[in-house]
Amino acid sequence: MLKLSALGKRFGTRWILRDLNLEVQTGECVALLGPSGCGKSTALRLIAGLEQPDEGNIELEGRPLLGIPAERRRIGMVFQSYALFPHLSVRDNLDLGLKVRGMAPADRRERIDAVLNTIQLVNEADRRPQQLSGGQRQRVALGRALLRNPSVYLLDEPMSNLDAQLRDELRPELRRLILQGPQPVLYVTHDQQEAMALANRIAVLRNGRIEQIGTPQELYFKPETEFVAGFVGRPQINWLNQTRDTRVGIRPEHLHPDDNGCRCRVIGREWLGASQLLLLESNAGQLQMLCSADYQPTEHLGVSWSPEDEHHFDPISGQRLNPS
Amino acid sequence: MNRSRSLWITLLLVWSLLPMIWQLITSFTSSDALVSTGIPFEHRWTLAHYRDLLSGDPPFWRYLLNSTVVGGLTTVLTLLLAVPAAYGLARMSPTRRSTIRITVGAAALFPYVLLFLALLELAREFQLGNSLLAIALPYAGLALPLALLLLISAFEGLPNDLDDAARLEGLGLLDRLRLVLMPLITPAIASTGILIFLFAWNEYPIALTWLSRDDLLTLPVAMARIAGSSIYAVPYGAYAAATVLGSLPLLALVLLCQRQIVAGLTNGAVKG
Repeated sequence: MLKLSALGKRFGTRWILRDLNLEVQTGECVALLGPSGCGKSTALRLIAGLEQPDEGNIELEGRPLLGIPAERRRIGMVFQSYALFPHLSVRDNLDLGLKVRGMAPADRRERIDAVLNTIQLVNEADRRPQQLSGGQRQRVALGRALLRNPSVYLLDEPMSNLDAQLRDELRPELRRLILQGPQPVLYVTHDQQEAMALANRIAVLRNGRIEQIGTPQELYFKPETEFVAGFVGRPQINWLNQTRDTRVGIRPEHLHPDDNGCRCRVIGREWLGASQLLLLESNAGQLQMLCSADYQPTEHLGVSWSPEDEHHFDPISGQRLNPS
Repeated sequence: MNRSRSLWITLLLVWSLLPMIWQLITSFTSSDALVSTGIPFEHRWTLAHYRDLLSGDPPFWRYLLNSTVVGGLTTVLTLLLAVPAAYGLARMSPTRRSTIRITVGAAALFPYVLLFLALLELAREFQLGNSLLAIALPYAGLALPLALLLLISAFEGLPNDLDDAARLEGLGLLDRLRLVLMPLITPAIASTGILIFLFAWNEYPIALTWLSRDDLLTLPVAMARIAGSSIYAVPYGAYAAATVLGSLPLLALVLLCQRQIVAGLTNGAVKG
C-alpha cells in the first residue's frame, strides 16, 4: 500500500502541490487527473524520490520512503518521453539495471528473455530505440519497469505521445502487464477518458490540491465541485444561465427532445456516428445535446431533462449543493 | 553548380594548405638552395634538416614526447574536473546556471598572458618549475572555463528524464555518468579534449618561464630556440622541419577523431 499524507512541494514561494492525502491499496490503480500544471507529475517525482517534498510523508508498505535515495526505492516508473537509453539496444536497455544490481549473467538473460516475450519484442531485442515505433518504445519502457520487480508503479502520462489508435491497442496491454499485478499503481494523465477506462479510483487535481477522490462513477454522477463536473465527462457539461444563486449543470447526454420542453434553435452539429452532438441556443444559454434523431441547423425543437440529473453548485465556493 | 562548388573548394584548400606545403617543401630543401638560385637539381633536395634535428642534443623527438605528455596530462586532468562539474551545473536551476555561465565565460575570455608573472611566482614558491607534471596544473586551470562551457551545453542537450530513469534503475552518480550520460555526449567530450590538447600543445609563455632544462622543453619553446639560435642566419630549413614534425602528431590525432569532432561541432545544430 502506498500512502501519501499531507504531501506538499513548493518552488520558491509558490506551492505546486499542497496537502495531498491519498492511499493506493494493493492491486489498485489510482489515476491523478488534472489539467497541465496542476502538480500531478510533481506528485510522482516526489514518490520516486527525484524531488524532495517540503512537507508531508510518503509511506510504502508501512515504511517511510523519505530519506531513501531514488536509486534504492524500487519504483517502476514509466515516463511520458519513455526515457529509453538511446545508445543501447532494447536488450541492453532492459539489462542495465539488472547488471548494476549485480545479478548473474545467466539469470539476467533468462529474465530479460521472459520480459521480451511478455512485451512481444523478441525479434527487436537487438535494435536501438530509434529503430522502433512509438508503441514498441512504450512497450520497452513498460518492460523495463516490469523487470525491476518494483513495489509500486508510477506511470507519467504513458500514452500521451501515442496516436489514438495505438492508445486503444496499448490499453489492454497495460492492463495485462501492470494493472493486474499486486502492486499499487499511480497513473498520471490529463485525459479523463483514459483515467475512467483504466483506474479503480480517480483523484482530480487542481492547482496542486485534490478536488475529489472517487470511483469513475462517483466523479461522473456526483461531482463534488464545479471544477470536477466540468472536467469529467465528454462532451462537457452544460452550465445553465444562473436564475437563482446556484450554478446548475446538466450533461449533454441527459437532455432529450421534448415538445413541451425548453425552446431551442439548432445552431450547429457534429456527427458522431451513432449519435450527433447538437449545439443549441435557448433561454438557458447555449446547450450541447447528444441525440440520435436527425436535426438540421436552424431547426427549432423543445428540450427537457429530469431534475435529478441536474448538478447544483455554490457559485462562490464551487461546492456541490445537491442533496445526496 | 557542382562545378563552381568544386572550384571554390579547391581554392579554399589551396588557400589554407599552401603555407603547409611550402613548409614541407622547405623542410626538404638544402640550406644552400634556400638562399641562392642556380643550385643543380640533384643538390636541392636533402634530409639533412631532419637528420640534424633528430640527432641534436636532446634529440627533437624528446620535445615531441614532452609536449605529448603535457598535452595528454592536461587533457585528462581538465576532463576529469570538467565533466562532473558540467553535469552538476547543467542540472542547476536556470537562473543560477546562467550566472555561472557568464562568470565562466568571462574567465575564458581573460587574456591569460597577464597571469604568467603571477604564475611564475607560484611556481617558484611551490617548487613547480622544471616539471612536466606540474605545468599541467596551470594548463588545466586555463583550459577549464572553455571545457566547462562546451560540456555544460552538451549535458543540457540531454533530456533530464534519461538521468532520472537511470537513477530509478538503481544507478548511482558515477554509474550514471559512466554508463548513460558520457556515452551520449562522446562527440562533445572528444572535441573538447582535442581543443584542450591543442591549447597545451601550442602554449608558449608559461612553458617558456616554467621550464628551463633543455630536456624538458615543450615544442613551441624548442622551436623558438631553433629559430633564434643564431643572429647571423635564419635556419629556415631546420625550422620548417621542426614545424612539420610538430604538426604530425596533431594531424594523426585529428584524423583519428575526425568523426567525433564533426559530430561534436555540429552538436545542437542537428537534433539526433
